[in-house]
Amino acid sequence: MTTTIGLEIHVQLATQTKMFCGCSTAFGDEPNTHVCPVCLGLPGALPTLNAQAVRLAVRIATALGCTVHEVSEFSRKNYFYPDLPKSYQITQFDHPIATGGSLPIVTEQGARSVRLTRAHIEEDAGKSMHAADITLGGETLVDFNRCGMPLVEIVTEPDMQSSDEAYEFLRNLRRLVRWLGVSSGDMEKGVMRCDVNVSVSPDPAKLGTKVEIKNLNSFRSVKRAVDYEEQRQAQCIADGTPIMMESRHFDEVQGTTTAMRSKEASNDYRYFPEPDLPLLQLDPTELESVRAQIPELPWEMQSRFERDLGLSPYDAALLTEERSTAEFFQQTIALYDNPKKLASYMETEVAKLLNERDKTLTETQLTPATLAGLLTMVESNVISNTASKDVLPLLVDTGTTPTEAVRSLGLEQVSDTSAIEGFAREVIAENVTQVEQFKSGKEAVLGFLVGQLMKKSKGKANPKFAGEILRILLK
Amino acid sequence: MSSELPRTLEQYRHAVRAHELSAEEYLDETRQLIERGDPQVKAFLHLRLDAARSDAQAADPSSPLAGAPIAVKDNIMMAGERCTCGSRILEHYVAPYSATVVQSLLAAGAVVPGKTNLDEFAMGSSTENSAFFPTHNPADLSRVPGGSSGGSTAAVAAGFALGAIGSDTGGSVRQPAAFCGVVGFKPTYGLVSRYGLVAFGSSLDCIGPIARSVRDAALMMNVMAAHDPKDATSVRRSPVDFEAALQPTLAGKRVGIIRELQGLDVQPEIAAAMETTRKAAVKSGASLVDVSLPHILSALPVYYIIAPAECSANLGRFDGVRYGLHEDGRDMTETYSKTRNAGFGTEVKRRILIGAFVLSAGYYDAYYKKASSVRQLITDELDAALQSADVLLTPTTPTTAFRLGAVTDPLEMYKADVFTIPANLAGVPAISFPAGKDAAGLPIGLQLMGPRWSDADILSCANVLFTALGGES
Amino acid sequence: MIIDKETLEHVASLARLEITPDEDGSLLGDLERILGYVAQLGSVDTSAIVSKRPAMTELRPDEPGEGLTREAGLGGAPAMRDGFIVVRNVMGGEDE
Ligand SMILES: [Mg+2]
Ligand SMILES: [Zn+2]
Repeated sequence: MTTTIGLEIHVQLATQTKMFCGCSTAFGDEPNTHVCPVCLGLPGALPTLNAQAVRLAVRIATALGCTVHEVSEFSRKNYFYPDLPKSYQITQFDHPIATGGSLPIVTEQGARSVRLTRAHIEEDAGKSMHAADITLGGETLVDFNRCGMPLVEIVTEPDMQSSDEAYEFLRNLRRLVRWLGVSSGDMEKGVMRCDVNVSVSPDPAKLGTKVEIKNLNSFRSVKRAVDYEEQRQAQCIADGTPIMMESRHFDEVQGTTTAMRSKEASNDYRYFPEPDLPLLQLDPTELESVRAQIPELPWEMQSRFERDLGLSPYDAALLTEERSTAEFFQQTIALYDNPKKLASYMETEVAKLLNERDKTLTETQLTPATLAGLLTMVESNVISNTASKDVLPLLVDTGTTPTEAVRSLGLEQVSDTSAIEGFAREVIAENVTQVEQFKSGKEAVLGFLVGQLMKKSKGKANPKFAGEILRILLK
Repeated sequence: MSSELPRTLEQYRHAVRAHELSAEEYLDETRQLIERGDPQVKAFLHLRLDAARSDAQAADPSSPLAGAPIAVKDNIMMAGERCTCGSRILEHYVAPYSATVVQSLLAAGAVVPGKTNLDEFAMGSSTENSAFFPTHNPADLSRVPGGSSGGSTAAVAAGFALGAIGSDTGGSVRQPAAFCGVVGFKPTYGLVSRYGLVAFGSSLDCIGPIARSVRDAALMMNVMAAHDPKDATSVRRSPVDFEAALQPTLAGKRVGIIRELQGLDVQPEIAAAMETTRKAAVKSGASLVDVSLPHILSALPVYYIIAPAECSANLGRFDGVRYGLHEDGRDMTETYSKTRNAGFGTEVKRRILIGAFVLSAGYYDAYYKKASSVRQLITDELDAALQSADVLLTPTTPTTAFRLGAVTDPLEMYKADVFTIPANLAGVPAISFPAGKDAAGLPIGLQLMGPRWSDADILSCANVLFTALGGES
Repeated sequence: MIIDKETLEHVASLARLEITPDEDGSLLGDLERILGYVAQLGSVDTSAIVSKRPAMTELRPDEPGEGLTREAGLGGAPAMRDGFIVVRNVMGGEDE
């Protein structure tokens, strides 16, 4: 059995105002408070296109390697639904802003480039809450705050063959939109939503019947829905029951898909060019400047980190999940030339503090210079690695320099051999039993003795020196 | 005093500025005319004369419109006032915002005596399609005023307002102006904002002035023409003083006569008025040129595909969910269709159905797409013709005003739009001006069309002909 | 024949209009004649026509504009609860 998967992803663009009106895009406010004549579809209201939404759409399309068209056209997609106030959605149909392009993915099945069919701009509908969501006695509640939110819809070719690949595509796309500042990518807030087309065929050379699963709002749901659908269609084939070309709904609780009820045999959206909006014409010099401003892409940076800095695929992926982290890493590495050490320090110590504070790197006072300074002090034995963990919170919270922090905490490491030798002699004198054990060949006891020495030095002794000096004295 | 009442906006403005007349005095006179005459004419759907009087009191005599009463077609939004579009579906709807044009008129000192009757959602040519009542032609109460801006036009003709605004999708300002003996101007598409005009055919709709003289129309255009950031089809251009651009003669103008329209069946008095006007044009220094528009007769079928297609989408919003009439059904599908069935009249339903048909799968290419291409072809031909002529002269209508109830066949009604529709398809400016009367004493209107953005020139040429034929300068 | 009863019913359902039995006879006749009339465009040669739709001259800056309060925008709605518009349940209906 061969599974073929294509995705249609709606990404909400990170603008201040909606696609066609000046209403706020803020999330989570009282229902129906971000509304105006335009997004409520009041009589006589007309749409005006948000320049920033166009810029963001061009940015994402360019980064995806799409052909961005200098001229594109808006169309009306006609259907009746209570959360669609005008009874049509303004979208792009015959002439989308971008076509082609691709996004690379890597899974256990290997690397693959998923081709894109198109990317177009459109407005979102309002939000409906049905009886299934809350007990409403057969009613639907509608909030138009989301209505008119700016979206870019990205449609892939049927290039994926497993739920893992679909998952990975979404993960990488989400990383990209966040990387470019095009969208928050927040699936819980519905900022990214996905329709999945799945077809299973016994003959790898022939596509099966396309089944569409609509409105999935988490990566996990996409994976579960595809897994279920794969197995359902395979079962149909095994049983000889026909697979219907239809839209299905994914039940999050049951983990199953069910056919959606549709009044009409086939949807007839009666698309036609939107007369209220003349063509969208992009300035070629502006397109060029968008292209010039596209930063190194996350997967490009990821492979460079592996190739040039010798990072493990795991570290490289982790560091390039967020652009701010990756750039912080890059800037730090310019001042502190130990990529592996830095990577592990950022993934453990720094990550732990960020977690505790529920902050991102850019929201703290830590800078590449202070982190590089701190790690250089460890490297040159000014402080111990352990002591650095006491210094780091100060750098993160107050923005002080590492030198200042170390001084204020009194943590300068003692690397003066004569001072360490003094502590070592005291330890040997006070721990006769352990010294005997060591001398009789119990190597492990050295750790205990070093620990005692560190205690005497109030943690300031260079532990490496401490071990070496003890060893010499015990010979 | 009423014998000395100003007949035109221009005379009114002069009198107010000279302190011979105050805006309240004039409004009181207007109120009397309305109270006496409107029960027969039925131009207004709703009056707001008390509010208008206090607006008139507050009006600045030095403002462009100096407190003059200007009536507003009831498909144009005015905050706090009902906006019914002549439809049951919006019978009780109160506008929460004002159209840009209404804001401009108010800011220029206009006062609005009321909202005027129209064919439901501007679909019709007689104002008989109003869901509430038909309007009557002040020149002969047994006849229609034309449509769809029949209420606005009748109000101006009857002296209920010094001017009015209407909307023109296929002739809805010009045709009733011709029937009522007043001036109706459809500007270049994009010159006047559509924001707040309840859409019928968005690519065709234009708001235009209705006035008693061409000069008055120019005065109103000075207030109405402005780029509006709220309308993406509105075009930013340097401002024009349409009144100052009025010229005394047609010297050097080439007046085009369209060959393909010559053979059409036109009421003899209208053909005679064309002849008189051609002569007047030549006398005023114009030359006549013969132009050919091979596909102009396709304009009508193009229009009756494009306009219904756009209206079928535009009128989808009247679904009983957020505002307007609501009829409950067992489910949403039934709620929608019950609401829309109870709310829309026959002509509106007919056009929505045509529109849904020509856009639907399997018919789109043969109807909508084909019509779009032919529209472009007609536009190209018109643009080319307007290279060899500065203006094109045609009748506005094939006949003068017909009797109420006389035309019942929708297709016959549509076909009477043959002269007015091309300007909407091509987005060019066109004006209808009075050019005499027929044997029954009914007004005749003739039309001038010109290139896009030649609005000032069209007004100027029309003004010369209008005054040459005895109209108020 | 261009439009039959079945097509009319399909189109009416797309447009959410009911066709009552007393309407459909005359309506069908009118539509047939109107569509027959406009179908004459089929004979016009449009093979060389190039669409010349204009382009937008300016876009809207991404700055907040004046909105409406819930009351001003939706105060006349047939049914509201807790700030939401209330309609009959549409779960599982046409897609969004
Ligand atoms: Mg979409
Ligand atoms: Zn809005």
